[in-house]
Amino acid sequence: MEADSNNFMLGESQRQKGLRPWIKTYVETERHQPPRFGVFLLQGLVGLLFFVVVTRLWYLQIHRGAEFSRQAQENRLRYERIFAPRGRILDETGRVLADNRIAYGLSLLREDCHDIPATLAQISAFFRLPLPQIWDKYQQDRIKMKPYEPILMLTDIPFDQVARIASDIPDWPGLELVVRSKRSYPEKDLFAHILGYVAEVNEKEMAADLSLEMGDLAGKQGLELELEKQLRGRKGLYVVEVDAHARVLNKTLNQEPQSGREVRLSLNTALQQAAWDALGGEAGCIVVMEPDTGKLRALVTSPAYDNNLFAAGISKRDWEALRTSNRFPLQNRVIQSVYPPGSVWKLIMASLFLERGINPRETVHCAGEVKLGNQIFRCWKREGHGSMDMENAVIHSCDVYFYLMSERVGIDKIEAFAKDFGFGRPTGIDLPHEKSGLVPSRSWKKRQFGRGWAGGETYNVSIGQGYTLVTPLQIAVFVSALLNGGDLLKPQLLDNVPRESAGRVPAKAETLNFVANAMRKAVSGGTAHVVSRKDADMGGKTGTAQVVKLKMAAGDRRLRASEMEYAQRDHAWIATFGIKNGKSYVVVVMVEHGGGGSSVAGPVAAKIYDHLFDGSAKTKFAQRPLQNGQTN
Amino acid sequence: MDMRLINYINWSLLTCMVLLYLLGIGNLYSASTTRLETGFMFSDFYQRQLVWGLCGIVCMLAAMSFDYRRLRNLAWPLFLVSIVLLLLVSVMGKTVYGARRWLSLGFMSIQPSEMTKLALLLLAARLLARDQRPLGWKDFLTVLGIGLAPCLLIVMQPDLGTAIMLLLLLGGMILYRGLHGHVLKFCLLAAPCAAAFMWIAGLRDYQRQRILTFLDPGNDPRGAGYHILQSRIAIGSGELWGKGFQGGTQSQLRFLPERHSDFAMAVFGEEWGFVGCVALITLFCFFLFSIFSTVIQAKDRFGSLLAVGVFFYFFWQIFINIGMVIGLMPVVGIPLPFISYGGSATLLNFTLLGIVLNVSMRRFMFKG
Repeated sequence: MEADSNNFMLGESQRQKGLRPWIKTYVETERHQPPRFGVFLLQGLVGLLFFVVVTRLWYLQIHRGAEFSRQAQENRLRYERIFAPRGRILDETGRVLADNRIAYGLSLLREDCHDIPATLAQISAFFRLPLPQIWDKYQQDRIKMKPYEPILMLTDIPFDQVARIASDIPDWPGLELVVRSKRSYPEKDLFAHILGYVAEVNEKEMAADLSLEMGDLAGKQGLELELEKQLRGRKGLYVVEVDAHARVLNKTLNQEPQSGREVRLSLNTALQQAAWDALGGEAGCIVVMEPDTGKLRALVTSPAYDNNLFAAGISKRDWEALRTSNRFPLQNRVIQSVYPPGSVWKLIMASLFLERGINPRETVHCAGEVKLGNQIFRCWKREGHGSMDMENAVIHSCDVYFYLMSERVGIDKIEAFAKDFGFGRPTGIDLPHEKSGLVPSRSWKKRQFGRGWAGGETYNVSIGQGYTLVTPLQIAVFVSALLNGGDLLKPQLLDNVPRESAGRVPAKAETLNFVANAMRKAVSGGTAHVVSRKDADMGGKTGTAQVVKLKMAAGDRRLRASEMEYAQRDHAWIATFGIKNGKSYVVVVMVEHGGGGSSVAGPVAAKIYDHLFDGSAKTKFAQRPLQNGQTN
Repeated sequence: MDMRLINYINWSLLTCMVLLYLLGIGNLYSASTTRLETGFMFSDFYQRQLVWGLCGIVCMLAAMSFDYRRLRNLAWPLFLVSIVLLLLVSVMGKTVYGARRWLSLGFMSIQPSEMTKLALLLLAARLLARDQRPLGWKDFLTVLGIGLAPCLLIVMQPDLGTAIMLLLLLGGMILYRGLHGHVLKFCLLAAPCAAAFMWIAGLRDYQRQRILTFLDPGNDPRGAGYHILQSRIAIGSGELWGKGFQGGTQSQLRFLPERHSDFAMAVFGEEWGFVGCVALITLFCFFLFSIFSTVIQAKDRFGSLLAVGVFFYFFWQIFINIGMVIGLMPVVGIPLPFISYGGSATLLNFTLLGIVLNVSMRRFMFKG
């Protein structure tokens, strides 16, 4: 068999048709039998090929098909945000208080960048920044960014630097100069506490609001925070189709950007500046409010800070300086600081006495002091005021009158009445972190100290000392209520908003008129004489609040007797109103540790009225030159 | 001409071939489309493939025109010429992309390694057709030695893909022929050792990198793993029905590399989905079975072994290329017959099929 199968016949081919004789061909004599294993092998291999490939295709295209489809989309489509300009904030006259300016940034798209270490080194060389700092920024943002989201490496690059490197940027794939809008506050310190500031959103804010993304700006303080919803526009979205070389093939506008709403404030920059100047750098605050509408015309707190620092991203050093300053520039004293009201409080007490049926003509003899148990309570006037009725007690601010009368009504009535006048709760102004102040009561005392109310404490409360704490804005709201017929108005910062009453004071019109008239007389012939004007109907009440500085720092923290001995200079208050030609204003001035109300706070208020009622002064301020950095 | 020649021709093979060729052209047409900002850009790959295919048909007809048994006499001369050409390449070849594979003839360049495939196939068929006993040591070593000589020359070019193809082709034929028990045992033991030796001494860094990347493509998604990942995305995103003709984003937007040549199958998978892919692989299986039927029907061992050689030539290419595209094999530059673009490969494909058709149509010439 082997011999047979091995037998090749020479020359047989020559007999075969179609073969030429010069070719020698071996031909097997028997039909061959394909090896069985070989046949099986070939069939098996084809079967295996089919089985393996179909199984794998099923896995890729059916089992994980959706996932790969998504990846193919991600390859192809990128999303580009279009930033919507934030709404500007204007003052009453249309002057821009918060503006958007163009800022240049440098963004890095990792996917387009061939050599990230080299690119980062180049950024460091471009801007002469330390390389580790660039790396830190990159590493921080890298984890937070989705694929194909550019990392904003630098923000707010000065224009001269932009001009210097702009031509080199195309040599570094992945780097791009981007234009972002930045917030700027042309008036700087003047409106810092009211406007607040914007800064890049943090992770907490992004978690709370899904429309926010890394690098977005959001209000952090002040009106920027409070009016965030109106001011922030809606971002637009481009869907960009790209090819593998990141070339843009197609750009479709998926969503139109919507700019934020412009907001006009009731504040007047010239007046604000005048008030600021009047305060002369003292720590303190000023409220100018329209008693009929609740609109605020000026709201000054001093010292202040430049909120542009925050908008640009405040440096650690600047922040530490602001935070640790013993003058507390970050505090908005109008609403975030609470003070004992001092004699200004006597206006509330007088109203209460009238409402409790005490005859205003009833007199009390002031001998300079009064004894309760073994404690002596003194009047501010050592030698005493002599015989005092209610009006004179207000005009001359006689403490003894209020000590004795308050004994009749008692702390419970005082507490309820003060709360009805808006004390002990926020006024509702559109600013964050407003404090409530404190109206003490028996239950409060028990809670705080575990002891009952002592009679002498009612004496202290009656002259605005002791535990009572108010914000300057609460005083302004109260004085407005005296003039507008008893409405506790929400102080409005915005121009085009309706008058909003938070309630009415529980006092008859005669009561309110009586107190207002007493204030008029305090101007014409009493402690508040400093604000008197011939051309206007003026009223006022001064106050000198004894306090230790420490108290202010700790906010609402209770005042301990031991601390009283460290009292430095007193807080100076004046609460006034002025009416001229149908225009009425309430001006409240509070100077921290300023000393006497009439000597320190009074002149400040007088200067503000000069501005309000004196046309020439107004013109002068209106022509104040534009400050640097203001863009329009 | 004897009408029986026509009657005995392997019609199913011819049909499969034509279908695959047309599918390949259609797919290349789609893969030639590139979307740009301004519209579409067409490259002329499909036209060139069309021309190559027509040339291939001429080659095929030529290969059918004579009695295949004459090839037995051509085997040694062709093989020796190939070796000489390969030696010439290593001395004066043209270097393209760091590999010396081309021989410039002035008016055109040829790649001798393509010719070597044909020569080795013929020589192996001739040597293995001597008898039909399982191969003993002597025969085995002879065939292996003859195969290794051109392989070494090709590895030096370096062109690992072709060398592996040659070895697999030879291995398939030897395996089909059968080995003596002790030779088989030796081979089973020696194969892993040879693989280990290759890994250490035979592979270049980039080749080793490719295999490592194949094992973990996510390791280097922008670099070596890019092909594998993008190919998987292209195929997978086809899902059941595909994105439609010319609808593939992976290929049109150029995320898919080598979409005309080695990864043409990924374009097909993206646009025709699971259904199209299964149809294609089924067609390929029919195609292989058609060759297989000639292996069975051939009337002599040489003809049968020629068909076996051609079977393995196509089988390995299909297996390795599709395996690579669907992520079951490392990336080696082996095209998919008829689907991938390639001039000399197309010519060779048609020529080899011409030989199989030749074998099939001349089976009547023997008396049973």
